[in-house]
Amino acid sequence: MFVRRITNFLGVAWFCLAGLSAEAAHTEARLILAAETARPGDTVLAGVQLRMDPRWHTYWRNPGASGMATKVEWQLPAGVKAGTIQWPVPEKLPDEDLTTYIYTNEAVLLVPLKLAGDLGPGPLDLKASVSWLECDLQCVPGQAEVQASLNIGSEIKASRDADFLHTWQTKAPKNGEALSARAWWEGAGTGKSRYLLLEWNSAAAVSEADFFPDASEDFEVQPATERVPAAPGKIRLRKEVKKLAGDWPRQISGVLIQQSGPARLAYEVNLPIESSPTAAAVNTSPAVAIGVVAPSLWKMLLYAFLGGLILNVMPCVLPVIALKILGFVGQAKDEPRQVRKLGLIYALGVLVSFLVLAGLVIGVKAAGHKAGWGMQFGNPQFLVVLTALVTLVALNLFGVFEVNPDARVMDAAGTLALKHGPAGAFFNGVLATILATPCTAPFLGAALGFAFTQTAGIIVLMFVVVGLGLASPYVVLSWQPGWLKFLPKPGVWMERFKVAMGFPMLATAVWLFSLIPLHYGKRALWLGLFLVILALAAWVYGEFVQRGRAHRGLGIAAALALLVGGYLYAVEDQLRWRSPVSDTALAGSLKEGPDGIDWQRWSPAAVAQARAQGRPVFVDFTADWCLTCQANKRIAIDVPSVRAKLKEINAAALLGDYTRLPDAITTELNRFGRAGVPLVLVYPKNPNEPPQVLPEALTPGIVLAALDGAGR
Amino acid sequence: MKRALTLLGLLGVVSGAFAAAEVGKPAPEFTATDINGQTHKLSDYQGKIVVLESYNQDCPFCHNHYRTGAMQELQRELTAKGVVWLVVNSVSPNYPSHRSPEAARKEWASQKINATAWLDDSSGAIGKAYGMRTTPDMFVVDRAGVLVYAGAIDDRPATSGDPRTARNYVRDAVERLQAGETVAVTQTKPYGCGVKYGS
Repeated sequence: MFVRRITNFLGVAWFCLAGLSAEAAHTEARLILAAETARPGDTVLAGVQLRMDPRWHTYWRNPGASGMATKVEWQLPAGVKAGTIQWPVPEKLPDEDLTTYIYTNEAVLLVPLKLAGDLGPGPLDLKASVSWLECDLQCVPGQAEVQASLNIGSEIKASRDADFLHTWQTKAPKNGEALSARAWWEGAGTGKSRYLLLEWNSAAAVSEADFFPDASEDFEVQPATERVPAAPGKIRLRKEVKKLAGDWPRQISGVLIQQSGPARLAYEVNLPIESSPTAAAVNTSPAVAIGVVAPSLWKMLLYAFLGGLILNVMPCVLPVIALKILGFVGQAKDEPRQVRKLGLIYALGVLVSFLVLAGLVIGVKAAGHKAGWGMQFGNPQFLVVLTALVTLVALNLFGVFEVNPDARVMDAAGTLALKHGPAGAFFNGVLATILATPCTAPFLGAALGFAFTQTAGIIVLMFVVVGLGLASPYVVLSWQPGWLKFLPKPGVWMERFKVAMGFPMLATAVWLFSLIPLHYGKRALWLGLFLVILALAAWVYGEFVQRGRAHRGLGIAAALALLVGGYLYAVEDQLRWRSPVSDTALAGSLKEGPDGIDWQRWSPAAVAQARAQGRPVFVDFTADWCLTCQANKRIAIDVPSVRAKLKEINAAALLGDYTRLPDAITTELNRFGRAGVPLVLVYPKNPNEPPQVLPEALTPGIVLAALDGAGR
Repeated sequence: MKRALTLLGLLGVVSGAFAAAEVGKPAPEFTATDINGQTHKLSDYQGKIVVLESYNQDCPFCHNHYRTGAMQELQRELTAKGVVWLVVNSVSPNYPSHRSPEAARKEWASQKINATAWLDDSSGAIGKAYGMRTTPDMFVVDRAGVLVYAGAIDDRPATSGDPRTARNYVRDAVERLQAGETVAVTQTKPYGCGVKYGS
């Protein structure tokens, strides 16, 4: 009965020639039957038994990230038909990202053999060719011809292997039809990743649950599993699905695993994927699962307006605001009608910019990419242009050159130069909007998070309302110029104030410049040199063209030559601004300094792993260009008290770097109803409780309180 | 007003190109030393099509492609057309399948490898940046440095038999690129043994 033979002589011979030390001899295969004698018309249980040497393994029907499923090819006499293999529950071997589903020690693949009703009596030879891949530190293909004989008679006679096969049968996954299992998508599919929710009924308390998917050529269910809260008596899992080709799947099959006390139960399921939960699941919709209630449009519009309003006092926009105040002072003597008109044009500049942003968001979404607030700051070319632009604004404030050619001669009070024409007012609106995007303000996070998941119409509406919020103070003030009485009268101080405002603008340029090396490495130096050439050109233009009397043509030529030459050499040739350096291999630790928080890189798998170990998890989604995030880190996260608390409760600290806008983090932000960073999450120790979403602006008190709650 | 419009125009330069090793995005840059001590940088090959092959001769899937000569043939065919073919060996020194540069040079000769170079990636840096999962796991980078194909070498996951009978996704991608067309199959599920990364 026992057959162990390796027949691929040629293959073996080749391995020897190639100097391979390993042979396919770490797995033994044999064919066993539950019956010695069976009647025509019966179904006999057969088993392909695989016994692996210690440390070696073979693979399940879905091998996972690598490996190969064991194959059984039958050579059966007429009148005997083999059914499909019932695979025992495999082990999940987490090998970093390369998770595989494997068998160690022993596995019996069960196959029902159906005997035809007209089989004549006598012995039958049943044969099969079994091939597999066995792996330890190396992988080796194995193959064996196995055989067993069955007698056809007038009664059933169990074999001595019958009990053994029936124990394996009881361990095999059960039919999952009684579980009322369901599967649905968590949201729309953008890009190549989408989240799937699986839910089923369980009477017993379940300490651990998982889903082992079947293999597919068109999509892959990722190995990480997240248990999310569900109604009593139900288990709900969240799995990421990555698409390789074609449409999103409509059907999902595999094995549901649940551990109840010492019992490990497994159920075969094949489920249609619903596009959203049906009525039965509405009371526990996925939004509730992560603690975000589906918001109403009106409330979100109010949030959008308030968020826009508060943006005015966030550090990003402050230099522009100062300019605006100056503008008002300059206009104080003007006709109220002119003041109102300019106020409206400023608002128009803000609104048009927001419409452009909304259009970009819609376009990026339509192209199948992820969109996020402030996403343009992850774009290297945009940063280069903006750094140059902000530098020019600073130079303008210093008086190196003027924007409005009609005002190039300043009067004693310096008022003329400060008077914004319609173009200036519009430009201010645009600049305020661009500079506002790396900040999020209170209320704005929730509003934008809502907007980014909506239809095009609502995205436009929400963006316009944020713009209205940002512009509203000036529109109101330009209608009520009475308040200007409280400001000092126009005079020389205004010129000084204007120059003084050049410094925060210069600081903004420095901050933007600090983001450049991320994308261009050491080549960033050339942008710095270009900025100097740009400044020189601006000075030549201001000094010899705008303020000069003779040889203006020469001045224009010199300024242009500097600009074009500087651009071609420094920006095109040296900086190579069109080809930023892309992300290289990522380092393991993200710790800043010896005492810093021991950050690990965020991934859904890292969260799941830490939660499975019963640790609280602290997640900080941040980006280098996000000023609110940087402030949070300085003030409330990387501070001694929080560090000590993280150690005390043994929390895992995970950092999600959104600087380059990875899709995985955009998906996660959207899941928590956010469109951008910051997003700080605290997952409690109990893996069944949902994470707590911390507010956008943090204090150490907020963080410590949340961690205290999570550690309990 | 003109300035404002220019600025709005500039806002439009947003393009998605950030995450590592995603098809349709710039391929992650790397610098690596080959088994002869030469340094190779991906960006040095801008303007050429680059094929990356995750390699482990001890893996029967990879081995079958070499045993039958099919891999060497494809390497010869594509490099003759100006393609840069980099063999990436990410096996960590913790595994018996690791090759010292000397052993690798011997294997290069005995297997008659026809690639441009064999990169020593025993740190796993390139493998992880590209998300190489199996041997063989193939990547095609176009002339502009964009990753245009990732996945299996062909549609025949097997440790024996002739790979020439299969549909080869890498040849297909390169031929389409050279014909100025877009790549038809951009991503498949790689097959083979897991890459033996350290830690």
